Amino acid sequence: MVAESPIDQFVIKQVFDVGSLPVTNSAIFMIAILVVASFIMIFGTSSRALVPGRLQSLSELAYEFVASTVRGTAGQDGMRFFPMVFSLFIFVLLSNLIGIIPYTFTVTSHIIITFALAALVILTVILYGLYRHGTHFFHLFVPSGVPILLVPLIVMIEIISFISRPISLSVRLFANMLAGHITLKMFGGFVTMLLVSGSWAAYLAPIPFVFTIALTALELLVAFLQAYVFAILTSVYLNDAIHPGH
Amino acid sequence: MKEVDHENGGDHALQERLAKLGGAIEKKRAGSFEEDRRLAEAASVVGETGKAMALGFRALSELIAGVAVGGFIGWQIDRWSGLSPIFLLVFLMLGFAAGFWNVVKLGSGKSSTRSMYSNMNGRSG
Repeated sequence: MVAESPIDQFVIKQVFDVGSLPVTNSAIFMIAILVVASFIMIFGTSSRALVPGRLQSLSELAYEFVASTVRGTAGQDGMRFFPMVFSLFIFVLLSNLIGIIPYTFTVTSHIIITFALAALVILTVILYGLYRHGTHFFHLFVPSGVPILLVPLIVMIEIISFISRPISLSVRLFANMLAGHITLKMFGGFVTMLLVSGSWAAYLAPIPFVFTIALTALELLVAFLQAYVFAILTSVYLNDAIHPGH
Repeated sequence: MKEVDHENGGDHALQERLAKLGGAIEKKRAGSFEEDRRLAEAASVVGETGKAMALGFRALSELIAGVAVGGFIGWQIDRWSGLSPIFLLVFLMLGFAAGFWNVVKLGSGKSSTRSMYSNMNGRSG
């Protein structure tokens, strides 16, 4: 009887040690993501052909996509943050995509990872906003054109809305990946459970199997969309740091 | 496919074959265009569903995060001040308002706050 829990796939195991530094499966997959990303970008851009090959068009597509996202939301000024948004997008995208391959580990299914990424984004926003605009940055919370009586209330709401940004950014990515992988595992588990049941129920096994295939396709879409949403929200928040009272 | 008559009327036969081939190619091309169009349509439907789904998740997570952050701040202030449920209740309301406000901003397609307020006051942002 196969009775593996659907959340076993998220367990972090210590694989080996480097000195006194434990290396977990999560760390190994993060290193793998970096290796794959570096491979695509370095080998993709090394030939610089006029007619791009596969790797080159992949890297050029990725660049164009993120560049147009950043330009569209944060303007030309936002392009100074392009390296950061691009790295975040590629890291999240590759982590989501690698996670779909069976027997792999999904780095972004752990909230500590996504929260670390979101904290990086929001700290960049705060620090850059203060560096560039000084106290004028806080005009983000005090919008003009509001009746004086309402200002304290609006400021409270705006502050809570600002604090909730990293929370919603990290929870959305983490919850999407977690829920998707649990659902996939459950439907996969149904197939084996029905097959080994040894009764007429075994004939029902193809139904969850078809669902598993459809869900895998959906997960592929979600993997890309969540990376895209992460990138676009990063540039929206960065836009607030560049033009706080706009 | 058929043997060509080289002796007489070869030119005529050739013309006929060319016309036939042209027609066949035309037909095939129209068919493949139709197929391409249908594929593109299906892809755009999938893309639109995905975009709508992403938007829905965004709205949902903004709401939840607003309430969660508001609730947490209220709970923490309660612990410090010892006025147990008051701040929790107030900040839960504020958090809900903040979450809702984020969803409104999301729906209006404006990321900046100021343009929203000036719009409400009837001024052009």
